[in-house]
Amino acid sequence: MIEGIFVEGLIYGIMALGVFFTFRILNFPDLTVDGSFPLGAAVMAACITSGAGIFWGLTLALVSGWLAGAVTAEIHNRLRVPHLLAGILTMTMLYSINIRIMGNRANLPLVRQETLLTQVTQAFPGLDPAWVLLGFFIVLVLGIKVLLDLFFLTDMGLVFGALGNNEQMVLAAGVNPATYKVIGVGISNALVAFSGALAAQYQGFSDVNLGLGMVVFGLAAVMIGEFLIPSNRIWVLTLRVVLGAILYKAILYFGRYYGYAIHMTPSDLKLISGLLIIFALVLTRRGKKGRGGLFS
Amino acid sequence: MKKWGVALMLAASLVMMAGVGLADTKRVRIGISKIVAHPALDALEKGVQDGVRESWPEAVFDLQNANGDLSTAASIAQKFKAQQVDLAVGIATPTAQALVNLLKDQPVIYCAVTDPVDAGLVDSYDKGGANVTGYSDMTPVAEQIDFLLRIKPIKRLGHIYASGESNAVRLAQIARKVCEERGIEFVESTVASSAEVKQAIQTIIRRVDGVYLSNDNTVFAALPAVSEVCMRHKIPLVTADPSSARDIPVLAAWGFDYYRMGVATGRLAAEVLSGKPTAEIPTRYMTEAADMDLLVNLDVAGQLGLTIPPDLLEKANTRIENGALTEAR
Repeated sequence: MIEGIFVEGLIYGIMALGVFFTFRILNFPDLTVDGSFPLGAAVMAACITSGAGIFWGLTLALVSGWLAGAVTAEIHNRLRVPHLLAGILTMTMLYSINIRIMGNRANLPLVRQETLLTQVTQAFPGLDPAWVLLGFFIVLVLGIKVLLDLFFLTDMGLVFGALGNNEQMVLAAGVNPATYKVIGVGISNALVAFSGALAAQYQGFSDVNLGLGMVVFGLAAVMIGEFLIPSNRIWVLTLRVVLGAILYKAILYFGRYYGYAIHMTPSDLKLISGLLIIFALVLTRRGKKGRGGLFS
Repeated sequence: MKKWGVALMLAASLVMMAGVGLADTKRVRIGISKIVAHPALDALEKGVQDGVRESWPEAVFDLQNANGDLSTAASIAQKFKAQQVDLAVGIATPTAQALVNLLKDQPVIYCAVTDPVDAGLVDSYDKGGANVTGYSDMTPVAEQIDFLLRIKPIKRLGHIYASGESNAVRLAQIARKVCEERGIEFVESTVASSAEVKQAIQTIIRRVDGVYLSNDNTVFAALPAVSEVCMRHKIPLVTADPSSARDIPVLAAWGFDYYRMGVATGRLAAEVLSGKPTAEIPTRYMTEAADMDLLVNLDVAGQLGLTIPPDLLEKANTRIENGALTEAR
């Protein structure tokens, strides 16, 4: 069970890293996520069921996610539409596109198909599949995290940091913010779609409604992470997002597990999620004023 | 200091998780994973419990609800796996898929899944899976459309369904085929949310002589809007859900009661708990005449200027006449 929570937390942690990129680094609150997550799942499921294979599924999920983000950024740049609205527009359009990708179906099962997860577990026969998966996802997510850390140390990565802080300064330095937004929001949604592709294989289906609640999950992971470890160093920033995602999954899980003891029904969980984010925000804010956070 | 904090936090959660595994009881434990709170699915959930309790009065139920968040479906399955429930019931397609995907050793019973083979739950209609079987909520689409044809010979049939509900998409395919076979024009309109239903019916109402709605949670949430537009244009409306037709003016509704399907699913679960292998139980359907409910609204028929053939009226176990509801049987 512990391994289950960690695996889910790690899969959704990749999505949370994408949300962190737009929300915290680019300062571009992006709602495309609710559409690009099922987009990745749909592309992956379509590739697996049509026989194109897992490699192409993951690659095309990344590419399609990047495209979705680029569309949002372009709508924002060219039409001077606010961030949130641009994201909502793309998310809305993706609903129809996702159904098309799955061959005019709302739901594509992967239950008895060969997926990345079955391949990984078959590569280590004799070991408990749950722990094999946990090991695999730790390595995968750490790899993505390290790549992101290295990316943020490049010239381009540093420009992204500056762009979110002070767009005028970036302009004055002779960089076109519009181009960088296309790249940045694209990378963010590529991560989200990749996470969606993994989630579809983990739960055994892709569904057009898979994106519900994704932005909230990503934000919660980011906020809980900030509550856990206050820091400005990039490797800590990315690490705490993943830890936040795992902890948030664990909290929801315990709400489900022990909630009955305080007469809580599963439908109360959404309220709990919202309150939890507010709670983390309040504590983080208080920490900034005073001694500096919970674990500093 | 910082690292210690995180380590402590994680260690604390590990200890909490380890404690969970100790909670164990000897009674039969059944996990029910429901996709969303909805009158039909709630009735189904209650039916499952009542059905199981007929033979296992001591059974303990863990009722879970994904609140429509499909990503939660896998978390619920994970929970049932960790708890080692004796049997898991998945209500609706995505929750059933997540259970089948994650639970390999415990039996999984699905219900409210229209086409289990299409949904990837079992390989064939003739037998169950290694640990999977269940009830399909396939509604008799052809019979329902024929029923409407008996009351009023129509040339163009309107149909609204949610493009995001896999069950609804499948039923619409069947309805389209039935109409082709009967030589009727099939006029369809799809919606993504309940808020779009009124507009959808308004766009097709002038091009149809009758409207048929099959099992579709999104559309039924907006049934009053469909009924209102149909009544205004004097178009007969036939649905697959008798329970909503009790309050909302619909010419006729013919389908099964979700509570009764729940009880049947519960009895099936009890059989599996008693040791019957799931592989020997093919997907079951609510096809018995006793499973079906036919509701006829004579007030609506009067306003539309239609007469219900006496033999059909004979079959109706619920009638609405002069605003009063009478139940036979």
